[in-house]
Amino acid sequence: MVGEGAQLYTIEGVAAAMIMLLTAYFVVNATAVYTGGDTHINDMQLEILGKDVLDMMDTRPNGTVEKSPLRLIIEEDRADDFRTAFVAMANNRTVADADRINFAAQYFYNNRVTGTIESNPLSSSRDLTGGEHAVRATKWVIVTKELPAGSGFVKDRAVLVEVLVWRD
Amino acid sequence: MARLNDSAQWIILMGFLVSFAIFFLAVVINQSTVVGQTTAESVLEFPKNDIRNIRAVALETSGIADEGDRLIVVEDITSIAQRRTHAIVSLSFVPADTRMQVTIHYNNGVTEFDEVWISP
Repeated sequence: MVGEGAQLYTIEGVAAAMIMLLTAYFVVNATAVYTGGDTHINDMQLEILGKDVLDMMDTRPNGTVEKSPLRLIIEEDRADDFRTAFVAMANNRTVADADRINFAAQYFYNNRVTGTIESNPLSSSRDLTGGEHAVRATKWVIVTKELPAGSGFVKDRAVLVEVLVWRD
Repeated sequence: MARLNDSAQWIILMGFLVSFAIFFLAVVINQSTVVGQTTAESVLEFPKNDIRNIRAVALETSGIADEGDRLIVVEDITSIAQRRTHAIVSLSFVPADTRMQVTIHYNNGVTEFDEVWISP
């Protein structure tokens, strides 16, 4: 007669082997997730906020055919107006204390004389140190302006306003 | 030799079953972080704002009456978009009666967008 008392020990041994193999598999297969799944949500939020502020600044008053505030700011180089409007709109909150959002803005234009893309500074709420974790918000604006300055070429031009937005 | 008392073996086997269940739960939690990262990254990389910006400026450009002036603006958009947003943009404007047909093409190598818009 064949004794079957050892069958149970065999099954136990197989199960233990599986657990050890699985453990080894998990250890070897483990990936280091350097950034969690919700890390970029702040960035997304900040980018949308910057975009919304630029959209508001580029909205004509009451749907008239007048020029939008953003267009006038670029055409007339009113850096202070840009800073005031951007800081006020970006930092406005429903609670009493203001947010701590800062920005650095410039706009890019196509230099038709040299055929290169050049930038003009608009304004910034403080100087960039390089340590900011900034996101970029952009907005196309059509302006009637002499670009580059001194070229005597005044036409409707498309410029790209780029704002780096970060929270201190 | 006396026979071994092995009646507790079943309890140990049940213990193994429970530990397997915990292993599988650990796998689920492990994978969920990776999935979350991928989702947030792909949302950030999708050029939603770029496309909306291009669309808005294209529609605004269609309001410029003179064809030569319009071409200057289109050239500005095309060259700045290529340099600053790394995207190929091409816009064409075909007037028909009082309307304007605007064809927008956007491609940044990953996402492509095409639209034909007719002004009211």
